[in-house]
Amino acid sequence: MKKSYSIVLATLLSTSLLLSACGGNDNKGGNASPAPSDASSSEASAPADAGSGAKVTLSFWTLFDGGDGENMQTLIDEFNKSHPDIVVKNTKLVWGEYYTKLITAVGNGNGPDVGISHTSRLPDLIDQGVVTELDDVADAAGVDWASYNQNLLNATVVNGKHYAAPIDTHPFIMYYNKKLLKDAGLLGDDGKPVLEQSAEGFDTFLKTLKEKLPSKVTPFALSNSNDDPYRLWWALYSQLGGNDIVSDDLQSASVDAEKGAKAADYVQKLFTNGYIKKNDPDFYKNFQSGTAAIMMTGVWATGIWESTKDFEFGAMPIPKIFDQEATWGDSHTIILPTTKSNDPEKRKAALVFADWVASNGHIWAKAGHIPSKPSVIESQEFKDLPYRSDYAMVASTVKFNKPSTKNWQIRDNASFKFLNEVWANKMSPADAMVKLQEGVQKVLSE
Amino acid sequence: MRMNKWRADVQAFLFLLPFLLVYVGFTFWPMIKGVQMTFYKWTLIKKMQYVGWDNYRRMLQDQEMWDALWHSTIFVLLTTPTMLVLAIMLAMIANRKSRLQKFYRSVFFLPSVLSVAVASFLGLFVFQPYTGLVNSVLHLLGVLSDQREIFWLTETNLAWIAISLITLWWTVGFNFILYLSAMQDIPDEIYEAARLDGANDRQVFWRITLPYLSPITKTITMLQIIASFKVFLQIYIITGGGPLDQTRPIIQLIYQTGFRKNDLGYAATMSYMLFAILLVLSIIQYVINNRKGANA
Repeated sequence: MKKSYSIVLATLLSTSLLLSACGGNDNKGGNASPAPSDASSSEASAPADAGSGAKVTLSFWTLFDGGDGENMQTLIDEFNKSHPDIVVKNTKLVWGEYYTKLITAVGNGNGPDVGISHTSRLPDLIDQGVVTELDDVADAAGVDWASYNQNLLNATVVNGKHYAAPIDTHPFIMYYNKKLLKDAGLLGDDGKPVLEQSAEGFDTFLKTLKEKLPSKVTPFALSNSNDDPYRLWWALYSQLGGNDIVSDDLQSASVDAEKGAKAADYVQKLFTNGYIKKNDPDFYKNFQSGTAAIMMTGVWATGIWESTKDFEFGAMPIPKIFDQEATWGDSHTIILPTTKSNDPEKRKAALVFADWVASNGHIWAKAGHIPSKPSVIESQEFKDLPYRSDYAMVASTVKFNKPSTKNWQIRDNASFKFLNEVWANKMSPADAMVKLQEGVQKVLSE
Repeated sequence: MRMNKWRADVQAFLFLLPFLLVYVGFTFWPMIKGVQMTFYKWTLIKKMQYVGWDNYRRMLQDQEMWDALWHSTIFVLLTTPTMLVLAIMLAMIANRKSRLQKFYRSVFFLPSVLSVAVASFLGLFVFQPYTGLVNSVLHLLGVLSDQREIFWLTETNLAWIAISLITLWWTVGFNFILYLSAMQDIPDEIYEAARLDGANDRQVFWRITLPYLSPITKTITMLQIIASFKVFLQIYIITGGGPLDQTRPIIQLIYQTGFRKNDLGYAATMSYMLFAILLVLSIIQYVINNRKGANA
């Protein structure tokens, strides 16, 4: 039975191997050559100055693929063209491994000069010492924080310090199929849905869709678990005035059980009333193939629907079902990870780049994202893009997570878990809130 | 003579050296390191803090850990006996003299060449509601009315069935080959003698084939138990451990703890727990085998 021993051993070993192997050599593209930092520290030059002096090379790690990946590459190419003294080199990492790689690489001193972080992930990175604060370097680079949407910006400020430059927000919005809405008599002359912004109004809207359209058509395409129904719940919870599910000091769980249950109950009824197809295997495809009247997801879907042939759709903020406008959302931000040298020239160049990307948000908006600078939203280039202006105002009503280091863990290990049960009608909304409170507390005290 | 032997040993060692270096560096050393980890709060970037036996204490009180361990055990209990029966059945079919012999052999083995991701995604398509193969066939046969759907992947019990069936289909090939070769090692004279004595098919199977297969059965059982305790990827892809973590195996919990919760120390502790369990199982099996061997 030697064989089984070696297999036992292999089990253990491969586990430990797996665990320790990620300690090192993740430096693909991470080791930018040491910068020619001294030589000519040309002080007080304007940020976009195309003057002489040494070239600064910045390594930039991103987690974008598909349309996002292409748009980011376009931005980088444009930037390199217009800034002869700075070269940004893009390394695309797989999204699923991005944060793990970033954290380990920075821990080893092999991290990039510039990186991307979600706003919701930022506190965790700050806590681990992966991200540096930006206030001094922002002054040097001439960044005007006032030019950013303050709702997005404030979500990246932790303990009064700036840690990131937001380049977008990607909130949860609603899409509708114009043809199906017209068939149901719910499309106004302005091409927008006829929909009363209230709890009953939205319900009536869906009920009409269900009655008027063939039974094969799904009134409301939504996944039955995890992200998107959670985002809808978060939006409604926030519309009711719910203020996250962790306390202000981030130390304890604070689920507003009454509001949470009311929001969960409303979403649950969308499932039990048959508006949402039960266990829909692919709700994106359902909507994309014209068999669903409305759907809700993040703004990134705009680019997908646009590239679908002969697909007439519209986009709008999710309806104000309860007391105040609010929705779920997150932002991509540009961060300056901790590096060995923390070279001020590089840091300055990096922030010039970050601010430039934010200022050229109309390119980034091609995937569907809302730019982080109001001036971009006002610009003609942005207005020329269809659909985006229909939901750009949502940027100011996105309800972000509080800066807890455990946002993602709370979402994955508590929120998804119990809310999924509510959607499957296996747990009552009230019970789920009790469990959620316990679950969040458990994650926070671990 | 002695000199020659010594030289042969050195030569052998030199040949082994490249492997040994890799083995020690990437297998043995991490294993030692892993033990050290269990006594620390250890994050991905090695923010370390010595915590003594805390990880072990925490583990024993961790309901999630026990649940996950139980789920892995359920998987072992579901798949091991069924795997044995299925593998023997397929081997019997493929061992019969028939024109389709070669066809059977390749068809039964074929799924084993797939990678776990491919096998799992195929399984996912088969068990998916609305468009999946199983539900479509059931609709076609009229077993399931058009208005109803069976949600294989979101009901805990059904999910276990789906996961087990996919795993059986995917991994039975290897065990089938083991049984087939063992069957071919059974001398024909014994069968002939039995037939001459007037034994029927059933008697031949229970009195001759099965006893002769018992050594390989033991091996397969052990391999199967160990492999099943390590189940992770197919469940991760098919149900993601859901619903409500009801199908989450221990390895998934270890993975999530280590890489999602950034808590490598505790993840290592659970890994060693699993290691200890598998070690004990192997020892039990070893002892039983040896005792029987001595008696025979």
